Amino acid sequence: MPDDVRRLKRARRDGPNAFLGPLETAVMDRLWKRKQATVRDVVDDLAKSRPLAYTTVMTIMTRLHAKGLLVRDRDGKTYVYRPAFTRDEHRARLSQDLVRGLVDEFGDVALAQFTAELDSVDASHRAALRRIAGSDK
Amino acid sequence: MRTADRAFGLLVLLALGSSALLITLLAALLPRGFAVVTGGTADIASVVAVLVLILATFGVTLGLASLFRQLLATLSLIRTLLSRRVTVSRRVGDVAARLELAGRIDVVRDPRPFSFCYWFRRPRICLSTGLIRRLDDAELRAVLLHERYHLRQRDPLRLVIARYFAAGLYVVPVVEELVEYYTVQKEVAADQAAVRAMGGVRELASALFKVLPDADDVDLGLLVPVGSLSVTEARIEQLVDGRAVPLALSRASVALSGGALAAAAVLAFADGLHPAPLTLPALLGPASLLLAAAASGAAHQVRLVVLRPSHSYESTSLPFGPRTR
Repeated sequence: MPDDVRRLKRARRDGPNAFLGPLETAVMDRLWKRKQATVRDVVDDLAKSRPLAYTTVMTIMTRLHAKGLLVRDRDGKTYVYRPAFTRDEHRARLSQDLVRGLVDEFGDVALAQFTAELDSVDASHRAALRRIAGSDK
Repeated sequence: MRTADRAFGLLVLLALGSSALLITLLAALLPRGFAVVTGGTADIASVVAVLVLILATFGVTLGLASLFRQLLATLSLIRTLLSRRVTVSRRVGDVAARLELAGRIDVVRDPRPFSFCYWFRRPRICLSTGLIRRLDDAELRAVLLHERYHLRQRDPLRLVIARYFAAGLYVVPVVEELVEYYTVQKEVAADQAAVRAMGGVRELASALFKVLPDADDVDLGLLVPVGSLSVTEARIEQLVDGRAVPLALSRASVALSGGALAAAAVLAFADGLHPAPLTLPALLGPASLLLAAAASGAAHQVRLVVLRPSHSYESTSLPFGPRTR
């Protein structure tokens, strides 16, 4: 848990990409552009701007896979990686985590909030709220 | 009287009553405790006395720790947010002035939509630019009316007091359940105040809808037991069909609380009236009741006070957990 708290704190400071290190961001950028790629593809892509060892890129991509950001399929001896989320989905997920983190991170905050518990609201409640939000009841 | 006020009143009454009883018990047992510490006889009554004194010290510590943590957490959040304070725009200023909230509003630059009422003696309202951007004037007015209720009721102060009581009176677990009930009721009451002033639910509902986080995949339906509703879901039910959240205390915590208070009364008055050594059976019953309540309440309160409330992390938002969709 402390790790997550630290990560959240860093993220709040640094903005939406902060959960990723600079190399991870570079790799994700390539994947979002190419839709799918092998480790070799990414190494070659990055070679122009940032020459990296094959093993370094492999480690980063394995880590991104472990974090759930990349999915991979085996193609013969190599893995083909794809982003698990589009760039926008990734951003949305991140901001949602941060909103929840805001209350969690500070623990026992003594506040009375309109957006009180930014907690889960299931689909029926959501639909019911939408209905009265659009009516003149 | 509104339900939120009643809930808070009940909580304070119970807390003060229990405190009085427990202080009486302490006063009765203190001489025995001293006797043991200073090397006197260690009969069974003295052992119970020392045990109860330890429980009491723990309660006082928990209460103070809860107070300290809440103040620190609140200060820390406010300091972080207010470092991004921007000038209140004319639009927000106008809406606020019409609600007699001029000079009580802070706007902070943040893309996340949130608003809250903070501070204790003279509460203020904090709005994020992300919230203001999403709402039209009528919705903004509805949100400010909701916050104005918290501000006038001094809800942040009430919340601190309520949590302090719950932590300090960990041997009376019903107090914590009343705090949870009050937490829901104060939001429902603030919504109702806004709806009354707006003359309808539409603006508040649409403001709430706009700030909901993205849909969760679970769908339990509207007819789920109220106990499992989130605060926001309970508020929605109240807005949609006026369904109130009943006060549902768990039987276990009522039994433990009642048992603990009865045990405290027995120990305090028996010992006070008959300073002679108490018999073993007369002591063991009440003492074990008190211990059971203490163990149950302490487990919960220590988790609340010492550990960060991390439930929503674990269940939903580990930043890069396995993909669930």
